[in-house]
Amino acid sequence: MAAIVRVVDLFKNYYMGTQTVHVLKGLNLTFEEGDFVALMGPSGSGKSTLLNVLGCLDRPTSGAYFLGEVNVAKMDDDQLSEVRSTYLGFIFQSYNLLPQYTVVENIELPLLYQGIKLDDATKERCIKLAEMVGLADRLDHRPLQLSGGQQQRVAIARSLVNDPHLILGDEPTGNLDTKTSVEIMQMLRTLNRGGKTIIMVTHENDIAAWARRVVRLRDGRVESDVRNDNRATG
Amino acid sequence: MSELPLSPRLVGLAVIGLFVVLAVIAGVSGMFSRLVLGVSGAKLQRSVDLAIKSLWLHKLRSFLSVLGIIIGTSSVIALMAFGEGSMQDALDDIKRQGATNIMVRSVKPSDDSATAQKSWVTSYGLVKRDLDRIETIGDSIVRIVPLRVFPTEARYLERLVNARVIGTTPEYADVHKFELTSGRFLTATDDQDRKNVCVLGSEVADKLFPFEDPVGRSVLMRTFDFTVIGVIRERMPTGGSGGSQAAEEFNRDIYMPLHTTVARFGDVISVRTSGSRVNEKVQYNQVTITVSDIDKVRPVGDSIKAILEQEHGPKKDWVVTIPLDKLEEAERAKNRFMTLMFMIAAISLLVGGIGIMNIMLATVTERTREIGIRRALGAKQKDIILQFLVEAVVQTSVGGLCGVVFGLSAIFAIPVIWSWLPSWVASGPLPAKIHVPSIFISFFFAVLIGVAFGLYPAWRASRLDPIEALRHD
Repeated sequence: MAAIVRVVDLFKNYYMGTQTVHVLKGLNLTFEEGDFVALMGPSGSGKSTLLNVLGCLDRPTSGAYFLGEVNVAKMDDDQLSEVRSTYLGFIFQSYNLLPQYTVVENIELPLLYQGIKLDDATKERCIKLAEMVGLADRLDHRPLQLSGGQQQRVAIARSLVNDPHLILGDEPTGNLDTKTSVEIMQMLRTLNRGGKTIIMVTHENDIAAWARRVVRLRDGRVESDVRNDNRATG
Repeated sequence: MSELPLSPRLVGLAVIGLFVVLAVIAGVSGMFSRLVLGVSGAKLQRSVDLAIKSLWLHKLRSFLSVLGIIIGTSSVIALMAFGEGSMQDALDDIKRQGATNIMVRSVKPSDDSATAQKSWVTSYGLVKRDLDRIETIGDSIVRIVPLRVFPTEARYLERLVNARVIGTTPEYADVHKFELTSGRFLTATDDQDRKNVCVLGSEVADKLFPFEDPVGRSVLMRTFDFTVIGVIRERMPTGGSGGSQAAEEFNRDIYMPLHTTVARFGDVISVRTSGSRVNEKVQYNQVTITVSDIDKVRPVGDSIKAILEQEHGPKKDWVVTIPLDKLEEAERAKNRFMTLMFMIAAISLLVGGIGIMNIMLATVTERTREIGIRRALGAKQKDIILQFLVEAVVQTSVGGLCGVVFGLSAIFAIPVIWSWLPSWVASGPLPAKIHVPSIFISFFFAVLIGVAFGLYPAWRASRLDPIEALRHD
């Protein structure tokens, strides 16, 4: 399978006053199209930083990051925004929906920044996605009127609206109870089986067990990289 | 005097104008966003929708933050209207005296002056010789209209009126642009033949002849009968503005030929002043000189002063009044006043703008998380700028519109409240004249302030680091 994400000698330093913190110390990783990856590691291992770089929210200090064929490591802010808006979908731990918007409007949000005209057709598409994640009867609800699981499902629908090459999850089940977590993971697995590439950060083994591949980081380096064969069943 | 010059047509015009301004602003901002920010029209429209939505979410806060703009805009409009109204009143008054006129009046020299004689007849003022010399100034003088004034009683049957007789020449009607309700004004023949004819002011006519047409009737003054040949239409009096200028209340005057007054009443004017009777010998009380061109008013005025100084020597028994001077002075005063009003209003708009900026900065902090989310989902920095800028401009535009409506209603409401106030607080009527440019200027400034004071918070919002912003609670 073709590599969708390839990082080469990826370094990331943070500067705190006179001190330099080395967070990522020369990572080399390749993720194939259609993969489902769990990034794990203790806090401070650099998994969140890696996810931010992969999500084009942050730029590496040095090294290359190929998204598809393009090296995005050297892009400027506007270009990165465009990459996010066209190729990436995000799912956050705290859902990050806009409270003033309805379910449909939240799902629609990424399209706003693609510069395409929002009309009945795009709205239709958002409604379809809402139905797909099981919120057909909540289209006009606002986030605060929904449960955590429902909110995360809205976020999943939102991450799909631009038909992204890559979905990035930052502890997508971190705020959810076990039953709801299973529902969400089932939904992600379905998406992955439908061909979507997913990379998510988690620190729970039973969530990582849903992935096809688990990458463990420690102190900014890859500690282990294993294929999951005895996968949990849902 | 305080009529509100606000026809429905004017209001309609203002409303249409406002829409034109709105359309222009929409066009300009559309172009701005496309050229500077590189954002499509659809996106701008969407931003406006979103801005309205998020402002609607915090109705009270939005209202409070634009309150300064509302007050600023409405105070510009109201202040300009009342300023313009009262200044216009004064200006109209001066214009009624005629801008191309020069008035020379005889004044009684003060008693303690060196030339004062203790005689039973005081003789002073302008004489025929002065007029002849003034006439030599040349072509720029269109006409010289002398007049004499006698206070007297006028009778018709049992009715009596204390009026002022003015002996003058036919041109007096041209100087003051009289219109007659009936009959005619004096003619040269009346003057040459010293005819016993008179023209009545409207109030005199009403009092003496309440039920009949005065033309052709006779009015008794002193011991003579005068045939009424005309009645003058009611006319606004010129105010006694500036102290040296006597008020002229045309409506209570009776006009008759100059030579008739000399022949019938003589040279001596008796004036009754509290108990004692003062006799004065004055040939002409006032002479109005009309000049052909407004530019020639000053040189001719100077020449007249020079002549009179020569003729009368140290005896200061004359005064030259030039309405144009007062007109220009009043116009300068008006401009000063308007500028001042505008500055006050501009300051309140500025304060309003600072209020907007304050709220916008707070909003940016409060919505840091939202900014992070939008950035993660693909919003560029300029999208964030646009969002917050549009929000500020929508706020100030709506505030500006409210201010226009509020200001226009204040123009109607304040005179009503004014009339309720006790007279020691609010004396006289409060004239208002809607100053149309102020509507557009203040609205335009309101919008501009939205841009000016929204820009910095919007810029701050756009510079936030997406990761930091996403972590913000």
